[in-house]
Amino acid sequence: MQSELLVLFFVLGLILSGGAIVFSYFIMPHSFNATKVEAYECGIPSKNNSWSQFNVGYYLFALIYLVFDVEIVFIFPWGEVLKEVGKPALVEILIFFFVLALGLAYAWKKKALKWE
Amino acid sequence: MGLTEILTMSHELALIAALIILLISEIFSDEKSKYKFIPLAFALILGAGVVGLIFGKTGIIFGGMYQNDALRMAMKLILDLATLIVFLQSTEWIKHPHNKNRVLEFYLLVFATLIGMNFMISSGDFLMFYLGLELATIPIAALAAFDRLKNNSAEAGIKLILSSALSTGLLLYGLSMIYGTTGSIYFSEIKELITLNSLSMLGMIFFITGMAFKISLAPFHFWTADVYQGSPIAVTSYLSVVSKGAAIFIFTFVLYNVFGATSAIWTQILVMLSVITMTIGNLFALRQQNLKRFLAYSSIAQAGFIMLGILGQSAIGMGSVIYFLLIYIFSNLGAFGVVAIISAQTGKETIADYRGLYATNPKLSLALMLALFSLAGIPPVAGFFGKLFLFNAAASQGYYWLLFVAVVNATISLYYYLLPVKAMFIEKTDSPIATFKAKPYMALSVAICMVGLVVTGFASVIFEYLVSVSSGL
Repeated sequence: MQSELLVLFFVLGLILSGGAIVFSYFIMPHSFNATKVEAYECGIPSKNNSWSQFNVGYYLFALIYLVFDVEIVFIFPWGEVLKEVGKPALVEILIFFFVLALGLAYAWKKKALKWE
Repeated sequence: MGLTEILTMSHELALIAALIILLISEIFSDEKSKYKFIPLAFALILGAGVVGLIFGKTGIIFGGMYQNDALRMAMKLILDLATLIVFLQSTEWIKHPHNKNRVLEFYLLVFATLIGMNFMISSGDFLMFYLGLELATIPIAALAAFDRLKNNSAEAGIKLILSSALSTGLLLYGLSMIYGTTGSIYFSEIKELITLNSLSMLGMIFFITGMAFKISLAPFHFWTADVYQGSPIAVTSYLSVVSKGAAIFIFTFVLYNVFGATSAIWTQILVMLSVITMTIGNLFALRQQNLKRFLAYSSIAQAGFIMLGILGQSAIGMGSVIYFLLIYIFSNLGAFGVVAIISAQTGKETIADYRGLYATNPKLSLALMLALFSLAGIPPVAGFFGKLFLFNAAASQGYYWLLFVAVVNATISLYYYLLPVKAMFIEKTDSPIATFKAKPYMALSVAICMVGLVVTGFASVIFEYLVSVSSGL
């Protein structure tokens, strides 16, 4: 076992990750601005603290949105190879749609789409 | 790729079909008719096992990502059987009014984890292995937090997800190092390319650490007791048997196959892990009063014994591990079944509550006694033969002092396994648990376990079959 290499590996890892932080500290412009310390630098002043209650409906909507967002990610490469692969590709994407539709139907059944 | 090749993974396809059938029945059922689908879940898991048995073929598909052979098929069937027993045991708990909105979700989540485990068992490269592992882990966190109105259950869920996030991180870091040194993620290629250099050994150690979390080997066992105690009993038994069994199988396979060339290193690690795990599991189990927590520490100690079998490093080693897992399923699920029956009836879960149980419920007491005897390894129940073959496998490689430690630990474990037996048969109390008749499904699950305990011990053909199919590895 070359244990020197192992030590070198850890030392290099420390230097690379720590060095980046130290180096950027030295070259960055040190100017302070109140907006910089905010959680979201989106221009709208944030208020209250983060331990507040919010409607769980937002969360459910985000989850359902995510399902269809991921669907798009799969459909684009599928469209690209559809002509080459032919019929099997069509069958496969239909199975995929079917499973996704089941997911939406389940969310519907559980009243996740209802805003209360 | 033709249809016949796809049929290699017929077991997984059957499970996926079962999951979709359950999802459709969930969508098109109303509040009251849901309970009618509970027997459907039993039928589906049985059906998946039968399909896997009949149509399952050995072979390698997806360019080596997925492989199936007789040993893997046997392991999948064992997991199916264990899941069926867990389903039978969960009927009373799932019918509780607290769970009325999510009866079928329990079965859906269990099927999802089972699919993940099957893919993990059949994986031919680290990518498939990782995907299966994740699919097996994430729904379990939801299952652990199933009794969401109980703080304990929510705590169990969050602890499980945090510890598995950490362990998965370690595992992936290790796998990235192995990829870095060998340039491949396929098991068969890494096996040829791996050499004894510091980086790949570091990767292997991270891999072992990550898996040790999943199998709850000491010193990575801290999440186990809290999660086992907080989760509903059905989920605890599923975690301690099915999930652990699948992880142990693939752990053994990867160590033997992928890291076969570097066994000089990992055997040393496993020896240490085994000694620490057996000792810590036993010492903590000694003073537990809650039976779920008691069984959690006992399952940690049992994992330490399983490491002895892995150290066998041969077909006999692999065969003895799987054989022990099969027996462990019957003994642990038998014990959990009795605890579940009594907990569903009376809500009592501590050893002190079991005083005088033999006078009021003799059948349940005898079943629990047999299961605990099997866990402790007292002949003639199967647990004795399971431990015997594990010790045999370790002895064949000359780990005699480790065997000595294991035998001392087995003796210590006798003491605490006999504590509940003493409470049931000898100790007297003024207010024992009243006589009651167990619900048919739950009684059936315990009966299956008892038959299994007696039969697997004496049917040497099972052990011989497992060893013969392991030899192809």
